[in-house]
Amino acid sequence: MKKTFLAKRNAIFSLANISWGAFALAIAIFLLFLRLLAPNLFWKIFTPVFRSSDALGEASHAIFVSFGDTAKLTIQNEKLADENAMLVNENQALIQKVKSISGLSTNSRGIIAGVVASPPESPYDTLVLSAGSNDGVALGMEAFAIPNDGQGDGGVPLGVVSAVFADFSRVTLFSAPDVTVNGWVGKKNLPAQAGLPLIIKGTGGGTMSASIARSANIAVGDTVFAPGPGMLPIGKIVRIDNDPLSTSVILRIMPTLNLFSIAWVVVRDTGISQP
Amino acid sequence: MIRGTLTLITFISTVFFPWPLTAVLALATSVFEPLIPLAIGLFADTLYYTPQAGILPIFTIYGAIITVVAFFVRSRLSESIINK
Repeated sequence: MKKTFLAKRNAIFSLANISWGAFALAIAIFLLFLRLLAPNLFWKIFTPVFRSSDALGEASHAIFVSFGDTAKLTIQNEKLADENAMLVNENQALIQKVKSISGLSTNSRGIIAGVVASPPESPYDTLVLSAGSNDGVALGMEAFAIPNDGQGDGGVPLGVVSAVFADFSRVTLFSAPDVTVNGWVGKKNLPAQAGLPLIIKGTGGGTMSASIARSANIAVGDTVFAPGPGMLPIGKIVRIDNDPLSTSVILRIMPTLNLFSIAWVVVRDTGISQP
Repeated sequence: MIRGTLTLITFISTVFFPWPLTAVLALATSVFEPLIPLAIGLFADTLYYTPQAGILPIFTIYGAIITVVAFFVRSRLSESIINK
């Protein structure tokens, strides 16, 4: 029995003779007709496909965006690091500036403090200052009146800090009773070696006195100096008590400044002991 | 086998990948199968064509152009090979 008929039919419909392009075109045309003729069926078939396509698109988009964000974040990170370094430098410069400003007020020039109370508001021969331990004021520091022109850089010695609180301090003036300070007396324009040493005692009420040999030939109007940065004028001799029976004279000294009108003082450590 | 794989990948790319990749694949496949760009263009318009977007089925037209060009190039190459 011959089978030529079947062999011929297979040859006509053999897939081997159809190219992939023609096959693909046939599929595309079939899908096109499916959409035109049976759109519901078409969309029912392709809706899951589109959903999976959307999911894949979102996932790939997230991956690419993450890469893009990484690059962007890296750039932003570098930019922020630069800004941070710049701000750190600026901060360091500001800290140095603050330190230099603080140094001006505490080191060479001392601590500037306002006088909160002076006699007669405060007890006689004391000053209450608006600076305390928080500002660097310590017990035993010396208070000076802020120097005016012609008074040198040291100012006028006023007294010693005798009590320190957090924000306030009390200065006992050299004129307070029983307060003593070493000093010199002489002409104002004389060099330091020319001054005669003497012990200045506070006598209260803003006045001081000192005892010196009669032979020193001290006259009214001579200047009394106290140690500080150099010789600082502390007062002037206003009267000399001369007792004929004594070999010494008593010098009555009035402060150079009116203690009642002092508004600002400079407090600095000079090594003088607490009164 | 390569032709079949390229054809399948190009069809899948039409649905799942951006159109530039699909266009590149269609161009590459057209070297072996000139009808593929037309088929892919038709398939793309079947999926994405909307009358509101435009009157002409752009993908089909572009695919047809590429197919014509591919057939022309293949015919020229065949003639040159035969003439040799």
